[in-house]
Amino acid sequence: MPEVPDRLSRLLWPVLGLPVIVWIALFFLVPFYVVLCVAFGTVDPVFRTPVPIWNPLEWQFTQVQVVWDRLFGPDNFYLPAVLRTLAYVAIAVVSCLIIAFPVAYFTARYAGRRRGLVLALLIAPFWISYMMRMLAWINLLQPDGLVNKIITLGGALPIEVNWLSGNPFTVVMGLIYGYVPYMILPLFVALDRISPSLLEAGRDLGAGGFDLFRRVILPMSLPGVLAGTLLIALPMMGDYFTSDMLSKSPSTTMIGNLINLSIVAPGQAGQAGALLILVLLILLVPMILYTRSNARAEVRS
Amino acid sequence: MDESRHRPLSRRRLLQVSALAVPGAWALAACAREQPLGAPSAASTSAGGTATGGASPSASGIPIASPQNPVKWPINPGNEPIASGLEPEANATLRIYTYSDYLDKAVLKDFQKAYADYNVAVEVSTFNDYQEAITKIRSGAVPYDLSFLSYNNIGKLVYGDLIRPLNHDYIDNIDNVWQEFQNPWYDQAWQYTVPYVIYTTGIGWRYDLIPEDIGARPNPYDVFWDSKYAGEIAVLDDDREVIGMTILRDGGTDVNTADKAVLGATRDAMLEMLAASQPRVTITGYTDIPEGVLSLSQCWSGDMITAQYYMPEGVDPSVLRYWSPPDGRGLINNDFMCILKGGDNPVLAHHFLNFMLDNDVSLKNFGWVGYQPPLRSLTPESMVSDGYIPENLASAVVKPEWFNVGYPLLELPPEVAGEYEAIWQQFKAGA
Repeated sequence: MPEVPDRLSRLLWPVLGLPVIVWIALFFLVPFYVVLCVAFGTVDPVFRTPVPIWNPLEWQFTQVQVVWDRLFGPDNFYLPAVLRTLAYVAIAVVSCLIIAFPVAYFTARYAGRRRGLVLALLIAPFWISYMMRMLAWINLLQPDGLVNKIITLGGALPIEVNWLSGNPFTVVMGLIYGYVPYMILPLFVALDRISPSLLEAGRDLGAGGFDLFRRVILPMSLPGVLAGTLLIALPMMGDYFTSDMLSKSPSTTMIGNLINLSIVAPGQAGQAGALLILVLLILLVPMILYTRSNARAEVRS
Repeated sequence: MDESRHRPLSRRRLLQVSALAVPGAWALAACAREQPLGAPSAASTSAGGTATGGASPSASGIPIASPQNPVKWPINPGNEPIASGLEPEANATLRIYTYSDYLDKAVLKDFQKAYADYNVAVEVSTFNDYQEAITKIRSGAVPYDLSFLSYNNIGKLVYGDLIRPLNHDYIDNIDNVWQEFQNPWYDQAWQYTVPYVIYTTGIGWRYDLIPEDIGARPNPYDVFWDSKYAGEIAVLDDDREVIGMTILRDGGTDVNTADKAVLGATRDAMLEMLAASQPRVTITGYTDIPEGVLSLSQCWSGDMITAQYYMPEGVDPSVLRYWSPPDGRGLINNDFMCILKGGDNPVLAHHFLNFMLDNDVSLKNFGWVGYQPPLRSLTPESMVSDGYIPENLASAVVKPEWFNVGYPLLELPPEVAGEYEAIWQQFKAGA
């Protein structure tokens, strides 16, 4: 009776997949549709609250046009914030990579029996919410805070740094600090998978330390590097909290701040929606590249 | 390398380790509040008033109240005041919606005690600016009984049928407030509102960090364009306050202007400010200045009075300074208390308004929030001599006569509000 189990199994997988499909529909597709309806909708003339247009055939493009003009029109005051965001994210991602790689490598290769402990410690920051950690930094970075006390050796050196003065350095540092664990974990997983015998083979074939890294370790950890980069770059692109907490200055405004500002300002929720779609489109490119490279890697193996 | 010690971490182990993190993170995230501190009033990113001041109806048809054009609002059919002589609702939860740190909790306890016979509970929810407040009140999601708002949204409140007209029989204590607030221009015959607190907008600073008499400058507002203080200063996170201040700095007096040329010049001046002094944008000056995170900030008069209680150890509150135009020709506003239509306890809400206008209650509340109520029993001199306000902050006292010459931030017609919002957007984008 091969037919019955066949039909059963044909049904089984869709049924098992159903909860996830419902979940995604409910918590991603529906809200996203609402965002679109707000972005392509109008504004209440008196209260200036958004009036979504539910029928896609009647969608209006005025809000999107406004955002487009602010990005690429003659008065493009959104553009600096977008470029600033790209620069901050690029610097933060590269810094995270440089910090995370040795840590992940050490954990994967040399931590021995203590790797569980090391990993637990790496995950420990998640025990405290991101906001609490940023609030802690505000205390540390205050003019008379611990950081300044240390770098001036308790007031002996005449160094005066106001870290919280809307300093881009502080914001990028906050981003690095906030997201570096997300980089370490995928890197660790990738490095952990590299078989020690491959490294041995590389060494046997005459590769020195640097060559071994360049020709064996790095290529083999590339999926982890990519995953980590995406994992931190995507949320960083939408991060508004770090700049809000550590800077509060318009000179460090990021895309996330523009979106947040549009949402809280009257009459501009539609523009927030349009901005959000823009960020989504920007992020879609690396996402597609990533899934394609993953798919290709799977085919190869 | 000792290969025997290299054992790949099992998936289960990794999950175990990761799972450790989850409950802790959740618990802490739940404790964390989105905005640790709020602030009073003139905040509002929201729409505001007209230019030339006038009960001139805007394009939307809603009149704009101003001192020159007082407005008596209509009572919408079906929204008549409650009858006189009703008993307060028993076992009720009175829901109050206001800024955080804008109402003394001890005063609320006193209210509960005074109405213990009715077994009253009080619940306070907070908003960050008026726009958020109006949006949420309008959504009807929570049946708030009372809110503390400003006249820069009063037309919307009335025409949106969001507030309830008052029955004056319940509110004898109105006699305690200044005469002009018993018939205010924004609500003639106080049909809908009773006054809460009054405040000026000015400049607050710590004299030990910025040892300068800001008021002695030919144009004190210029301090925000002074690159000498780059990175140390802030302006209020409020479009109307910053735009208004910039208009005053450039010699204008109409802080509600609809004049495109003036608004264009104001925008340019604000962008110059960004370039010159990189100000931060925040309403938490009342903690940031005492803590030294900021040396100087645009702030409300009540902020500097509260700031005394946030001084770090070893710094004397006497280093705090506040400046607003001593002739009163600056930004001056007040907030009011009103009863929301969506609330479940209109009678108790009337009793609460009367309670808050009681002399002793109002003074007690003043002692905690730092914002001055327009009480007849309070004189500028008594406030200092009775210790509500220290000598060095005597300039933060709001004088009654200033309301005759100062500039209130009025409700704006929607089409003008859009222009203000665009300027603010550009300023905050840092371009």
